[in-house]
Amino acid sequence: MSELETDLHRHGGIGHEDHAPGDEPHESVGHWVRNYLLGLFFAVVLTICSFWAATSHMIWAPAVPVAIVVFAIAQMGVHLVFFLHITTGPDNTNNVLALAFGVLVVFLLVTGSVWIMYHLNHNMMPTDEMMQMQR
Amino acid sequence: MFGKLDWSAIPFNQPIPLITSVILILGILGVLGLITVKKWWGYLWREWITSVDHKRIGVMYMLLGVVMLIRGFADAIMMRTQQAVAIHSAGYLEPEHYNQIFSAHGTIMILFGAMPLVIGLMNFVAPLQLGVRDVAFPTFNSVGFWLTASGALLVNISLFVGEFSRVGWLPYAPLSETTYSPGVGVDYYLWAVQISGVGTLITGINMVTTVLKMRCPGMTYLRMPVFCWTTLASSLLIVAVFPILTATLAMLTLDRYFGFHFFTNDAGGSPMMFMNLIWAWGHPEVYILVLPAFGVFSEIFSTFSGKPLFGYRSMVAATLFICVVSMMVWLHHFFTMGAGAAVNTFFGISSSVIAVGTGVKIYNWIFTMYGGRVRFETPMLWSMGFIFTFIIGGLTGVLLAVPPADFLTHNSMFLVAHFHNVIVGGVVFAVFAAVEYWFPKAFGFRLHAGWGKAAFWFAFIGFWVTFTPLYILGLQGMTRRLQHIDVEAWRPMLQLSVVGVAILIVGVICQVIQLVVSILQRDKLRDETGDPWDGRSLEWATPSPAPFFNFAVMPNVEGEEAYWGIKQRAIDTQQLAPEPDYRPVEMPLNSPVGIYTAFFSTVTGFALIWHIWWLAGLGLFAAFIGFVVFAWRDVHEFEVPVEELIRVERGRRAARDAFLERIRQGEGAPS
Amino acid sequence: MSDLPFPIAREAVLRRRADPDLAGHDPHGPKEAVPGTGHGDSGPASKRIIVGYGFWIFLLSDIIVFSCFFAAYAVLQGSTAGGPTIKDIVDLPRTAIETGALLLSSFTCGLSYAATNARNKLWTQVFLGITAILGLIFVGLELQEFIELAGRGATPQRSAFLTGFYALVGCHGLHVSVGGLWLATMMAQVQLKGFRHEIIHRLICFNLFWHALDIVWVGVFSVVYLMGAAA
Repeated sequence: MSELETDLHRHGGIGHEDHAPGDEPHESVGHWVRNYLLGLFFAVVLTICSFWAATSHMIWAPAVPVAIVVFAIAQMGVHLVFFLHITTGPDNTNNVLALAFGVLVVFLLVTGSVWIMYHLNHNMMPTDEMMQMQR
Repeated sequence: MFGKLDWSAIPFNQPIPLITSVILILGILGVLGLITVKKWWGYLWREWITSVDHKRIGVMYMLLGVVMLIRGFADAIMMRTQQAVAIHSAGYLEPEHYNQIFSAHGTIMILFGAMPLVIGLMNFVAPLQLGVRDVAFPTFNSVGFWLTASGALLVNISLFVGEFSRVGWLPYAPLSETTYSPGVGVDYYLWAVQISGVGTLITGINMVTTVLKMRCPGMTYLRMPVFCWTTLASSLLIVAVFPILTATLAMLTLDRYFGFHFFTNDAGGSPMMFMNLIWAWGHPEVYILVLPAFGVFSEIFSTFSGKPLFGYRSMVAATLFICVVSMMVWLHHFFTMGAGAAVNTFFGISSSVIAVGTGVKIYNWIFTMYGGRVRFETPMLWSMGFIFTFIIGGLTGVLLAVPPADFLTHNSMFLVAHFHNVIVGGVVFAVFAAVEYWFPKAFGFRLHAGWGKAAFWFAFIGFWVTFTPLYILGLQGMTRRLQHIDVEAWRPMLQLSVVGVAILIVGVICQVIQLVVSILQRDKLRDETGDPWDGRSLEWATPSPAPFFNFAVMPNVEGEEAYWGIKQRAIDTQQLAPEPDYRPVEMPLNSPVGIYTAFFSTVTGFALIWHIWWLAGLGLFAAFIGFVVFAWRDVHEFEVPVEELIRVERGRRAARDAFLERIRQGEGAPS
Repeated sequence: MSDLPFPIAREAVLRRRADPDLAGHDPHGPKEAVPGTGHGDSGPASKRIIVGYGFWIFLLSDIIVFSCFFAAYAVLQGSTAGGPTIKDIVDLPRTAIETGALLLSSFTCGLSYAATNARNKLWTQVFLGITAILGLIFVGLELQEFIELAGRGATPQRSAFLTGFYALVGCHGLHVSVGGLWLATMMAQVQLKGFRHEIIHRLICFNLFWHALDIVWVGVFSVVYLMGAAA
């Protein structure tokens, strides 16, 4: 293959390359399996926690959504770290930056939309009343 | 069998679209016939249609953009003349037709004119400036182009088969819902924009990856030319906001095709959510267009002033600032909708703040010229015209960003004048400047300077004569999109505006003449050295036209203004750098997958527009099969032999040696 | 960390940190480019990284598509137009099974990639196969849910809330289905072509895609189902 395709052992097997997200070409199978088992364990625990938070009445009702959101964010973090192998290492800087940019956009879009639409709805006459007036 | 499609879809009773389409069809048949007679098909297929070379794809994008620009300009001529004659009368365009024209004008100009032009520039220039041989995903690049072309084709098919959308360039709900727009017009819009949007997204991903992962050795982030920075920022915005467009149009599609209730009046749908989502895409979209334009001007000001760009770091910071803040201003497009004081205030302030980034840039450009040896070549004229035009456009923009003022000017001709002021003055001027500037790199000869300057002056004056009256009309209370006018007082300004359009037409004719004259005189205008403007970035290190592999040996960058350093060293030492080791280069093979995808996406889109379900299914299935077949290909690259590299490189070195010789003999400084 | 020749990587990193030119813009003449840190200052990255990174960027854009549907759902959630509310249509046991199936499939998908890295075709295929079956179970359960709801008259045409619900959950389901189609194609490719470079790159991408879908599902079951049940 091409000169670019020197995947694993570029520069004589030195592993200071950037990594593609989700990719750690130098790791052994044992490392992978251990990582995935850990990830699965944490994910299952967090999933159970959030289902529990939603169904049991142990938590003060208005706090339930907060608990669910916290568990969800934690679980997303677990997935990112253990399944997608996003780390803080220098080989991952670009991946993390891209992710941060994506999270920023998602945050702006969702909170912005909800905020704007909440205020629009709040200020607007209900549709059926308006229909009444037009009649 | 054919869904909603039957003979009534052909506009036999409307002379204007009918005659236009007959002329267009005859023209296309003529071109195809000429290609067949001259036996150019093989050449076209090998060198252009299946090419995955970023420069070829860039040129094809530009060609598409220019053709669509002319189509959109024709719409503009009809709108201006209609409004000038339709005072207390019906004019010559029926309301239904007039509505289609302003909708098509906006859609085509932004999505199929300006976007391909800007993307074409990024494609052509960025890899050359980064010192690499191609973009990250060459085949996907071709797919992206052909999807865009496919969308443009669908829009133009609507001229002849059926109708186009009548609801404006953004299909505002609930007007665009089936209740109020039962025809196929909105469907044409939806599928055309959706298909080309996917193409744009592919390009965005491609360019982000190219800039972040494919720079030549030594090209650290803060050594990249500003155009590469703006390419990165613009592509990041594409990746961030085109998905919003995709999702929003998908929701409208679900409403129209399956009776969902995202944006309907009834069953709890929220039409205002459409405005919200579409502008969350729509505002960053204008920065997607204008950021690369800023990059173009940065290159041109520095080259033609003979100085490094003033305040490079602040330029980069301003670019990234605009990139992020542009996603926090979208509500200013609907201040009047009633989100209340708190929300309006926030977005009013953020919309004003974003002008700071642009202001930084304007000062940097002015200071770049200050103390420089300014050469008033055509690209420089466009750039200086841009500064003047864009400042006025920017100032009226800040005015519109103030909610109380916006309440008075919302949807008025003032707004129309404002956004033409920034988009024409910013993007279109930049594209014309860039075409003059990089044309030699693409084709090996410069464009004729005299006709270019004439084109600039006619366009510049024509622009102001067209749009100044619209500002005044807007302040007098004229709203946009009027098919006929009942206010006698507006007549003089509307007619003055038509005079401006006439001047613009002369400008366009000058551009065409410039191209023809330049081709005829190409031997006289030939760029022998590959560096016609005394450039500063790496694209000028290649011969003109640039070979398909760009660089025989990847450059090693040792400072900012990569090529300027190399050039000065050569001039100082009176010799070129020693000849390096040449190694064979791997280049991607041509691929028909782009044209294949475009064919089936056009078919599928057309089938969906007309509810021909079996054909849509067939098209999707064929697309899947195509991808599998493509994925099965084993050989993706071919090797360019060393002999070929040496042949091209020796030619380049000979030209540079001759250039050094001329300097040695005291024939003056370069240029 | 395993057998990484760590000191060398560390040295490269330290040199980068010490290098004022890391910040780039150094007008005072040439600086040595640090070899192989792969941030572009040493030349283009390898194809593997380029492909992985490009797909990562695509995934971000895909996540943004989802975020639009999330936003739409959040806005329309209360607009039930007299129809069923979220509380009426949530069936938590099924959601729990769906969640388990998708989580396990994410796990097996990861294992398949570990097998790929060890160049073990058999285990790669076995784990990809299990992933496919779990994905099918997920899509099947979701279809069953939709059909049941439609049978009770809770169709997306009924109200804006149901529109948002079907679109968000359905968008995710559609992604899983398309992912399944891709998965089947990949299995055929691995079988017939073995671990060629391009195949491995595609497996990296597929792995990313599948994990990302699971992350989106965490959002879906939390925001739609659990908050709905708790509301």
